[in-house]
Amino acid sequence: MEILHNLAFGFEHALTLQNLMYCAIGCVVGTLVGLLPGLGPLSTISLLLPLTYSIPTGGALIMLAGIYYGAQYGDSVSAITMKIPHASSIVACIDGYQMTLNGRTGLALFSAGVSSFIGGTVAIVVLSTLAPLLGELAFLFGPADYCAFMLFGFLCVSFVTTGGHMLNGLAMALIGVLLGTIGTDVNSGAQRFTFDQPFLADGVGLISVALGCFGIAEIVKNLDNRSQFTPFSGKIHLLPTWAEFKRIIPSALRGSTVGSLLGLLPGGGPTLAQFGAYALEKRFSKHREEIGKGAIEGVAGQAAADEAAARTSFIPLMSIGIPENAVMALMLAAFIVKGIQPGPNMIGQHPDLFWGLVASMWIGNCFLLILNVPMVRYLLSVFKIPYAALFPSILFFCCIGTFSVNNNLDDIYITAVFGLLGYIFLRLDLEPAPLILGFILGPMLEENFRRALLLSRGNFATFVSRPISATLVALMAAFVIWQIVAYVRQTRVSVAA
Amino acid sequence: MNDRNLVKGLFLIAISLAFGLPALRYPTGDFARAGPGLFPLLVSSLLFLLGLTMVVRSFFIERVPLTFSVKNIALILVSLCGFALISKYVNMIAGIVFLVFCSSLASTSYSAVRNLKVAAFLIAVAFAFQKLLALQLPLY
Repeated sequence: MEILHNLAFGFEHALTLQNLMYCAIGCVVGTLVGLLPGLGPLSTISLLLPLTYSIPTGGALIMLAGIYYGAQYGDSVSAITMKIPHASSIVACIDGYQMTLNGRTGLALFSAGVSSFIGGTVAIVVLSTLAPLLGELAFLFGPADYCAFMLFGFLCVSFVTTGGHMLNGLAMALIGVLLGTIGTDVNSGAQRFTFDQPFLADGVGLISVALGCFGIAEIVKNLDNRSQFTPFSGKIHLLPTWAEFKRIIPSALRGSTVGSLLGLLPGGGPTLAQFGAYALEKRFSKHREEIGKGAIEGVAGQAAADEAAARTSFIPLMSIGIPENAVMALMLAAFIVKGIQPGPNMIGQHPDLFWGLVASMWIGNCFLLILNVPMVRYLLSVFKIPYAALFPSILFFCCIGTFSVNNNLDDIYITAVFGLLGYIFLRLDLEPAPLILGFILGPMLEENFRRALLLSRGNFATFVSRPISATLVALMAAFVIWQIVAYVRQTRVSVAA
Repeated sequence: MNDRNLVKGLFLIAISLAFGLPALRYPTGDFARAGPGLFPLLVSSLLFLLGLTMVVRSFFIERVPLTFSVKNIALILVSLCGFALISKYVNMIAGIVFLVFCSSLASTSYSAVRNLKVAAFLIAVAFAFQKLLALQLPLY
């Protein structure tokens, strides 16, 4: 009953005219930008983050969340209609694009839309039950536990985002942590890696790093590829028959469950959830023989999981205060800019923000349903813009985004430097998502690391003597050993061959 | 040298040294009372090890050629820096025009008319940002 009470309280805050407007803007802008080739949720959020600085806290968070799940959804629409694979919607390309080839785009989009709605709804129930409970648990966390938790997160993110080449991801996370140490050390006040430049005393700007690595590097990559997308021009017949509709529901429910769970794990989130749900459908669906050839189940399950995970991935951020993936790390930055420290105290101290955000996610769900099912054909017209007109505009928005943080044009040079770095990373096959996570978590990691050792008088046993951190350390050790074995074996195989 | 895995390892080593060597100059303290240099030193040593592993491994696995086209990235960086410079010393409208014309040299097709349209659109957007979102853009 308490949940209903809390949700009603949340809706009171989310349903004000102002917040409704921010939610709608977030969903529309997120979907549109997410649709564009070369812009996934990460670049969309970093591009639009500075624009929320002037908005009141509650509205800004609601809008950013809307941008996130809107972008996530827009991404899958471009995957279904044109097979433009972003990292975040690779699975939607499989059956979704196959359905387009079979002339059933409308049905695919309808299935995705309805399943996303179901997934989002289930996730909100999970979110409102689990987040307060986990918040209680988080009070047991000491500095050593936080440290172990963050390191565990690095390992998981590195593993998930780099598709098994964990060392690459880990190296990027470490580079991120190092970049995070630039600036004034909070404990001693010493200036680190600033080369006596005053503009580095506060550290490198997050927006510069994110826009450089995701926005600019991504643009240059698309320019190098010189790939031309043919805009989708087929007919869209949306409404399914009753028999088809009945096939959506069970898959969507299965997908929502898997998605909600996988969204919770460190390193988890939408991408992992899509793969999980797709694998589940392949095994348990009634029509499993059709999957891969354009089956409704193949679209519905992953779409539900996608949206469910996009919402439940807020749980670790809001209840423990540790983001589990790069997108959530950006959200953490947004919270901090607004003067709110997410974590176990947030629900108690800012119940209006927490429950308002949760309620707004359901409202955003409704907006997305309206936006993406009946109006999807209008959305698709963004593809008529040629890339040659698009990328100078994206560059301009990168500049404005960077500028507006401090009203300083010189920050654009820093963004350009990170654009170059991002491009080098890209060419060296190093995935930038762990870097952002490391960059944002780095200062927190150092703080907790130093505090844990201070409390234990320099004794490293503190990391294995507390039950929570001991478990995490054991998990990490198992993970690392498994990876080393796999790594050596891989090398041997290629030597033998 | 044209081996992506080898270059990757060397690149990581270079970054670890760029952070690790200056960190040596900061007081490290001991583990109980860590100084500002300790944490960066630990992290960059780890990164150094990772880089070293990759370098060693690159001699045992198949070579992957490294592709790097200088033209596009250079054009984009020049347009960004030019935009910042021109906006600072002339005004942002000129900066936008430069950004659009310079960056579109990197595209497959070049059209002055389209560039003018894009520039006009972006200037309109900039005015909207200035008036509606109260961003302090030095437009003119």
